[in-house]
Amino acid sequence: MSISLTPFINSWPFLLKAVWITLALSLASMGLGFAIGVVVGALRTYGGRACDLGLGFYVDTMRSIPLLVVLVWMYFAFPLLIGRSLDVMTAAIIGLGVHLGAYMAETIRAGLTSVRKGQMSAALALGMSRPQAIRTIILPQALIRMLPALGSLFVFAVKDSAIASVIAVPELLRQTQVVAGNTYRPFELYTAAMLVYFVLCFPVARIIDRIYRRVAYLGSS
Amino acid sequence: MNFDWDVVWTSLPRLLQGAEMTLWLAVVTMALAIPGGLVLAFMRLSGIRAFAFAATCFVEFFRATPLILQIYWVYYVLPAYFDIQFSQLSTAILGLTCNVSAFNSETFRSGIVSIRAGQWNAGRAIGMADGQIMWYIVLPQAVMRVLPALASTWVSLFKDTSLVSIISVADLSYVSLKIRSETYRILEVLSALAAIYWLMGYPQAKFVDWLHRRYKVAE
Repeated sequence: MSISLTPFINSWPFLLKAVWITLALSLASMGLGFAIGVVVGALRTYGGRACDLGLGFYVDTMRSIPLLVVLVWMYFAFPLLIGRSLDVMTAAIIGLGVHLGAYMAETIRAGLTSVRKGQMSAALALGMSRPQAIRTIILPQALIRMLPALGSLFVFAVKDSAIASVIAVPELLRQTQVVAGNTYRPFELYTAAMLVYFVLCFPVARIIDRIYRRVAYLGSS
Repeated sequence: MNFDWDVVWTSLPRLLQGAEMTLWLAVVTMALAIPGGLVLAFMRLSGIRAFAFAATCFVEFFRATPLILQIYWVYYVLPAYFDIQFSQLSTAILGLTCNVSAFNSETFRSGIVSIRAGQWNAGRAIGMADGQIMWYIVLPQAVMRVLPALASTWVSLFKDTSLVSIISVADLSYVSLKIRSETYRILEVLSALAAIYWLMGYPQAKFVDWLHRRYKVAE
């Protein structure tokens, strides 16, 4: 078996661009997921029983349908329903974000409920409104406590973005397939892609844990 | 836009066959990945440097790379460069098992470590060997403790089996995508696909929540 580096020398700009798309896709879906997560998590915690049940249905649905199916449905079926086509990147961001949002919501709900009741009572006693208390008192503490969990969700977002290759988003896995197909060098290319994902994912959880140890005291009350 | 849902009913037998394959894959993978995860956890806790290092590398590697890429790697790289031939089904099971074993090993390890040292001391005090203590005292308690986490992994695994459709293993996703391209009834078939996963997965997710409430560790 011989290893050849020619595919990289010839196509590294192409692959590097794919790495950026992987990162952009992960960050965008993380952003959308976070927005969904904060709203759904807060409504499930403070919005009463009807909200909790309705949004719980969304969360559990996303927990039970594979991401692959969500993405394929979003890209191929959803446009038929709304009668206009979706560009592939948008479909991928929505699919990944809506899926991640459910997990984010659970994490945020756990963080919010972990803040003691006395904090809310104290905020209300100072004359704050409930939304104000959640925004300025409860959420900041909860976010700090959730930091490690958010770190692992980010790792999931990067790994899950590879599934978007199935609907031909030009991200790292997809472009690796393209180059591997053109050069007949699957070993070098898939192994390299593996290493890139490892380098993207492995340090993140560690760095966030380290940051967390430094700021953990801000979240304790 | 007109929809024709008949296609779902006429292809229902094939879809159910795919669903059966999905379930079978998840069961086989979990059956292999529980011993696999235990072995990795024991290696990491063994105190033997080389074993612990090898197991740590394996676990961190499989946890930090996408499963879909692992499946591609096993499928394209092993046969071409190491002269190992697997059927698609064995490739799928191999990829899934390595991945889930890595996650299980962390679950088991945290469970084993969470059992207080007093349990070991008590076992030694009544003359048990370390292996006996592990098997009769520590593991049974650890397993009860990690049951919810293990069940969560199961639910993820059940969904992740859909990724083997990319190497043409005839699971629910693969069968549905095939029916879609045969009939061009895209919305109907894909919605049926999502619905079948939902019907199978939703009760599981609820069951996991129940397990989490039932076996919550309170010390």
